[in-house]
Amino acid sequence: MLHRVLTSALIRAAELIALLLVVGTVLFFLLRLAGDPAAVLAGQGATPEQIIAIRQAYGLDGPLLAQYLTYLRQLAVLDFGTSLASGEPALGKVLHHLPVTLLLASAALALSILLGLGTGVFLGARTGRNDGRIASLLLFVVQGVPGYVVALLLINLFAVQLHWLPPFGVVNWRGWFLPTLALAAFLAPKIARVTAANLQEALREDYVRLAYATGAAPRTVLWRHALPNALLGATALAGTQLAFLLSGSVVTESIFVVPGMGWLLIQSARSLDFPVLQALTAVVATMVFLINLGTDALFRHLDPRLRKQQR
Amino acid sequence: MIAAATRLRRAHARTNAGLWELRIGGALVAVLLGLLVLRGVLPIPDPLAANLVDRFQPFGTPGHVFGTDQNGRDLAARAVAGLRWSIGCAALATLFAATIGTVLGLLAAMVGGWTQRIVDHGVAAMMAFPAIVAAVVILAVAGSGFMPLVLTITLLGWAVFARVVQAEATALMARPYVLAAQLAGASRLAIALGHVLPGIAPTLLVMVAFFFGDALITESALTFLGLGAPFDAPTWGNMLQEGRLRMLQAPWLMLVPAGCIIVTVLAANLLGDGIAAWTRRDRHSFAA
Repeated sequence: MLHRVLTSALIRAAELIALLLVVGTVLFFLLRLAGDPAAVLAGQGATPEQIIAIRQAYGLDGPLLAQYLTYLRQLAVLDFGTSLASGEPALGKVLHHLPVTLLLASAALALSILLGLGTGVFLGARTGRNDGRIASLLLFVVQGVPGYVVALLLINLFAVQLHWLPPFGVVNWRGWFLPTLALAAFLAPKIARVTAANLQEALREDYVRLAYATGAAPRTVLWRHALPNALLGATALAGTQLAFLLSGSVVTESIFVVPGMGWLLIQSARSLDFPVLQALTAVVATMVFLINLGTDALFRHLDPRLRKQQR
Repeated sequence: MIAAATRLRRAHARTNAGLWELRIGGALVAVLLGLLVLRGVLPIPDPLAANLVDRFQPFGTPGHVFGTDQNGRDLAARAVAGLRWSIGCAALATLFAATIGTVLGLLAAMVGGWTQRIVDHGVAAMMAFPAIVAAVVILAVAGSGFMPLVLTITLLGWAVFARVVQAEATALMARPYVLAAQLAGASRLAIALGHVLPGIAPTLLVMVAFFFGDALITESALTFLGLGAPFDAPTWGNMLQEGRLRMLQAPWLMLVPAGCIIVTVLAANLLGDGIAAWTRRDRHSFAA
């Protein structure tokens, strides 16, 4: 069992390193295709002397292959250079903004699970009834609304029309409501749909019929017999979607001015702060890797069938 | 008697599966495409014509059904002009991603060996990485515009197609009719194009519909963030950004492009769901 876990972790790690290598290589050549990398690295409004200094400092006047090897060597020791905007080490700057994103993502995940499971159980237990059909139609419409449009509509309703919550910024606890809600609006419908579908399936199983036959109350059958099995699918989905909460938080953070990694990404992209962009890409790839590893382990623990397979 | 009636009703419900989604989705798509094609002929004002007298006109103003923006430009006209950007970009990216993904997926399924392993790992790596992060970085470095947007969405989207096509094609390869074609001496290419591709066409169609919706969302989000279309282009992402800055004075500036995006994505999702239910219906009715 341990052997298998270790092997799969090693394969995942190899995939991660390969991914980082490919991303780094693509960025390396994109930067050179798009124009003068020294001008980019010197930042906007740099003097010609500064550009020349950068070119010498980074070895950009040497042959391309030598540049590439130097670049790979720096990547290998996680040396991404310093931010062009602030002069801090790029990696440190990214890690400084990491906790905010983690807080937002976990709050949104918790809210999504709460809302998604609740709606999913409601829908799954009411298939074929009209209120269930209307609810699933609503869900379908909600799922089609892009996350950032949801964010804007939330601001419009709660900040502009009702004046209940601040439109942006997280200076106090009230500022966290709208970003969390906007991010959860992206994940909750998915969890709801998967839970409903799995619950419908579970309710048709023989063990449910058996439970009814032994005289169990409908509520007991739903909560004790069918739901635990339906939850597996929802857990798997929440795990795979966790990585994409990071995507969602890019847009959400920049709309609500939440100073996390997503906000930093957009700021750095606008000012073309290349070292920070690169450090960000590496940190995000590593986080996705860790999340997937964790979800795999959790899932193996939850699903008895997988546990048995391992032995 | 009652049982027979229930069965009949169920069978009827099955043959109608996906029909209303197809009808509504198809109608919405027809309206959008009609507007896109006929926008030169229809009596629509110039989307770029500023008029400083008619600034910030609300919904339902005579002559400006959707109102006007901060420069007095007609919002209905700008919404229609945005169709070209958004639908063009999303459609082109969908076409490219579907083509590349299908070719690689078929290759992986039919050639196997190292080809399959390379495609597998490529797909796994691509799907693990949050697309919008990569898109933002690529567009920041490579510059923005129509083709960079299309190519970025393509680059980040082919993996989904490759994975599904590979899975479906591998399953089809084990079917007797493919085996028969192999025994009859058909070439690999002929089998791929004549026997496997038609078999995965329904799935591919459903994926195309959903991917189109996703591509449209990605395009407008990137433009909204200032990394897609140029600032002065009349696109839905730009209109949202302009509307956001004037949310307090004129909330409808934001609601018009938001409505456009929601309706278009909804149309694509309805078509996708409808096609999926419709093709599954066939299989069920044969089985029953």
